[in-house]
Amino acid sequence: MPPVNNKRSRRIWFPVIHSPWSDVIKFLLVLAALTWLLYRGTESLGYNWQWHRVSRYIVSVKDGQVIFGPLIQGLLVTLRICGWSLVFSFTFGLLTALLRMSDSVVGRGVARCYLELIRNTPLLVQLFFLYFVVAPVLNIDRFTAGVLALSLFEGAYASEIFRAGIVSVARGQWEAAHSLGLSTFHLYRYIILPQAIRYVLPPLTSQAVALIKDSALVSTIAIYDLTMQGQVIISETFLTFEIWFTVAAIYLVLTVILSTMADIMAYGLKTTS
Amino acid sequence: MQGKELGDYIIEVERIRKTFPDGVQALYDFSTRIRRSEVVVVIGPSGAGKSTFLRCLNGLEDFDSGTITIDGIPLDDNKENRFEIRKEVGMVFQLFNLFPHMTVLENVNLAQMLVRKKNHDEATKVTMSLLEKVGIPDKAQSYPSQLSGGQQQRVAIARALAMVPKVMLFDEATSALDPEMIGEVLDVMKTLAQEGMTMVVVTHEMGFAREVGDRVIFMDEGRTVEEGSVEQIFSNPQKERTRQFIGQIL
Ligand SMILES: Nc1ncnc2c1ncn2[C@@H]1O[C@H](COP(=O)(O)OP(=O)(O)OP(=O)(O)O)[C@@H](O)[C@H]1O
Ligand SMILES: [Mg+2]
Repeated sequence: MPPVNNKRSRRIWFPVIHSPWSDVIKFLLVLAALTWLLYRGTESLGYNWQWHRVSRYIVSVKDGQVIFGPLIQGLLVTLRICGWSLVFSFTFGLLTALLRMSDSVVGRGVARCYLELIRNTPLLVQLFFLYFVVAPVLNIDRFTAGVLALSLFEGAYASEIFRAGIVSVARGQWEAAHSLGLSTFHLYRYIILPQAIRYVLPPLTSQAVALIKDSALVSTIAIYDLTMQGQVIISETFLTFEIWFTVAAIYLVLTVILSTMADIMAYGLKTTS
Repeated sequence: MQGKELGDYIIEVERIRKTFPDGVQALYDFSTRIRRSEVVVVIGPSGAGKSTFLRCLNGLEDFDSGTITIDGIPLDDNKENRFEIRKEVGMVFQLFNLFPHMTVLENVNLAQMLVRKKNHDEATKVTMSLLEKVGIPDKAQSYPSQLSGGQQQRVAIARALAMVPKVMLFDEATSALDPEMIGEVLDVMKTLAQEGMTMVVVTHEMGFAREVGDRVIFMDEGRTVEEGSVEQIFSNPQKERTRQFIGQIL
């Protein structure tokens, strides 16, 4: 009987599986295995590792002055792009969600078109369209075009998240607010959104992480973000493996920080109510 | 109730019909008139349209035809009218519907500040006196989840009263409560009735109906089957359908 088997094996494995150290040990083992594989692989390629040359592209000290290298400069651009895009994509997302749920037929139609358009075309094409077609017409710079493309794209997905969060608030909350004579604005501002935020925070965090990763695409329109700076350094120095590892690690640190912040915020929300 | 002065008609419902999109006919040419300070008890089997009727009265539900007028204001497509009516008509729900992310004080303060435009201190003063009235002044800083069902429902009543409504609607306000808490909520409702509040009450609590009800409407299939004084409906129903129903619930 499978259930019994299951139970027994779980009991046997319990101390090993659930010790926090076993996780760490397993992680280190996997990491060691991967490193070894990579080492063997690159050795057979004859790759010449030069990690010591990487640090100057991050920070260096010259005449007692700290100088941030191109990777940090790129990181700052990435942060600026992501910061603006985050604000705008959540704004677009929320507005679209509200439009879709409004009584206005026109509003719902507009929202529907926007979502279909964005979700059924590649982000790269949207970016190029904004940069090569819209930007010259409206005379906007490449940074704005990049932010706009990312915001519109992620906003379409964020709107789905907001909508799910809004409809997950109990029907009775709407009715109670209406029966008190609250306006639609007050209803959303004080009753619905504060309750929806709890549902939307986790998926919205994933969305923000996706945004950070997708932001690497702006390097294709010659914005000197983290990815672009990495490419430039590699073309000058041929430190291909080292720089890509470093760039990936920086993105990883960014997204881990973001997820941790969201966890803390979610915990705060849970304890205040 | 004896010795109470009833005023002019504050609610006039003229042949309203309501059919839900799925084809269910919830109200069929339903009419009634309710006087100021009158306590009307609505009874009827499940699905009779009692909730739908109450929800139409404060514009939570649209109706297809007919007219509703409350204190001279027609409940029509005009949004202003609808908001005006919602301000004047308080509603208490079966499942309380308190705002879970706000304290009791905030729950009761909210509409006073947003809709009646009172400042925080004025609102709080009203809230505290209302909490006193419903018997839980010490719970102002609690969250709804920290209260018993009976306490939550009393907060919900206080929240509706804070708007100083002219009419109060109760939709099975005690049905979701444990038996030992029903009394405390009914007591608050009785006090309101004695103070002259106009009330429309959907309830199965016959004791309450006998004590403060001025009139009973027995509904079935979206219509009034029979209406009359409490005594008349409970002790001497004219229609067979009413007799059957009264026999079941008494
Ligand atoms: N939102 C809705 N959509 C479709 N049908 C509905 C809806 N609300 C109510 N109904 C239907 O309308 C009819 C009247 O419902 P209503 O809730 O008014 O009855 P009620 O008298 O309050 O019953 P109960 O005692 O069970 O609360 C029922 O047949 C019900 O199924
Ligand atoms: Mg009902």
